[in-house]
Amino acid sequence: MSTGKTYDPFVGLQLVSEMWEKQLNGLLYKLTDNKEFVQTANIGLDVYSRYLERFRKNQELIAALMNIPTKKDIANAAKMSIQAEEKIDNLEEQIWSLQDGLNLANKGNLEMFQEMVRIVKQLQTEFQTIAQEVSETKIMKADLQEIRQGLFNMKIIQVNLQELRKEIDGLKSLKSDSQTVPAAAMKTVIEKEKPKQKKEQEKKQNKELVLTGAEPSKKL
Amino acid sequence: MSTNALGINMSPQIKREAKRWNQLYKIMTEPKPDIVPTPRECVWKRNKTTLWFHPAKEKRYETPIFLVYSLLNKVYILDVGEGSSVVGGLTELGYDVYLLDWGSPGLEDRELTLDNYIVDYLENAVKRALRHSRANDITMAGYCLGGTTAAIITSITKLPIKNLVLAAVPIDFSIGIVPDKWLEGIQKGQLSFDRFAEAHETLPSEFLYLMFRMLSPIYGSPKINLFTRAHDEKYVEKWRRMDKWTKDTASFAGAAFKQLFNDFYKDNKLLKGELLIGGRKVELKNIKCPLFVFSCSRDNLILEQQSLPVMELVSSEDKTYKVFEGGHVSLALTGAFAGIMDPWLSAHSKEILKVQHN
Repeated sequence: MSTGKTYDPFVGLQLVSEMWEKQLNGLLYKLTDNKEFVQTANIGLDVYSRYLERFRKNQELIAALMNIPTKKDIANAAKMSIQAEEKIDNLEEQIWSLQDGLNLANKGNLEMFQEMVRIVKQLQTEFQTIAQEVSETKIMKADLQEIRQGLFNMKIIQVNLQELRKEIDGLKSLKSDSQTVPAAAMKTVIEKEKPKQKKEQEKKQNKELVLTGAEPSKKL
Repeated sequence: MSTNALGINMSPQIKREAKRWNQLYKIMTEPKPDIVPTPRECVWKRNKTTLWFHPAKEKRYETPIFLVYSLLNKVYILDVGEGSSVVGGLTELGYDVYLLDWGSPGLEDRELTLDNYIVDYLENAVKRALRHSRANDITMAGYCLGGTTAAIITSITKLPIKNLVLAAVPIDFSIGIVPDKWLEGIQKGQLSFDRFAEAHETLPSEFLYLMFRMLSPIYGSPKINLFTRAHDEKYVEKWRRMDKWTKDTASFAGAAFKQLFNDFYKDNKLLKGELLIGGRKVELKNIKCPLFVFSCSRDNLILEQQSLPVMELVSSEDKTYKVFEGGHVSLALTGAFAGIMDPWLSAHSKEILKVQHN
């Protein structure tokens, strides 16, 4: 009876080879899994290594005698370039840390400048309010000066009134004297005294003006 | 039945066979394929190490991924070409990816230790990636031995690592796929690679290829698989890329090789919390970030038991462990790594908020 499948010899070959491979590897595994093999392998490795070392040593010796650079010489030169590369790498890393430090400092500076700008802005607004207050104070000062001037004028009036009062008092005393001294003699005395009194009054007035110390303020 | 240019009628079977042998002939005669990487830019270079940045096609997550692969491999294990690339898969899913290419050390790098690789290269690369991405934190994702280095760096660094993803990672080195007596020999000092590493100074890539081959000396299955499926063009394309990667191993610095064998395989210092890297003690309990660990059910290089101890050793409260169907190498070379990682990672990465314009 046919299954409809064609015979593929490679599939069979694959199965057989896999089986053989496993079995042969298993056999080799068992053959080598013993102390004797390990010891022999170690001796073999040692002998090989000893001869390799001797061969290399002789090769170096001959090359040195003939002044021929060996692979070791080239390797040593290459090692120096590797060391230089490592140094450059380390320098690059140091530059990185510097860059990072600078970036951090810049960040700090930026924050500081931002704070400064904020403070300056705050100061600006404060200055504006102060300036407004100063202008208001100036107006108040001008008002106060006006009041002062008014007071000064009132003082002059007061002085004048005092003078007038004195004159009235003088007139009152004259009136009482006139009742005792003849009127004609009194009249001459009064006429003589009048200009004198006037002068004295003027002097006094000037003196008082100076003494009060209320000089008119200098205009700003 | 179809007719070819010569007017000969061809049955589908004959057509398939013709294609199979034609493809096989091509593989034998043509040079190995070029590996075209996912669009990338170089962010940093030191010695042989390069940090690549692969931008997301359409960025969806703010947290970038930093990929670390094994020091024993070549970089394109994680970026093997369109359709099979882990990096390509992740960029398509909306992640920015940083990939550290360890390079292949030369004789001048013979004194490089794991301390140099982890502190001087890996930690600096993560620092550079963080600076380049301007991200607040990063996801570390390590594959195989790259997972071990990713776990080490996460436990000793102060850099902001948001998540840790470990794929097929060896943490416990006291067990492995090699015969028990070999491991016992290494642990007791009966089998030492110290003199071998010192004699070579920098281990050639050929030796590392041989070392991998020694793990499974009879290795015919890839070629048999190719014969079986050679009529499938897509499979052949993927096979050729995988074949190129398998034979293209990296060299290894002698000092790092010695340290790997002595500190990890011999003394198992990572598990014991006795490992010192760059003067800093490596204690996995220092890992506090969310952790996602996964193993593969058919992994023939790293056993599940080697990865599991990490779950107990870390202090992370948010930790997940899963086992997925697949093999160790296929996890990376098929791009499956990206698909497995995405559901967990998308929930643990900061998503970019889109501003809607009316």
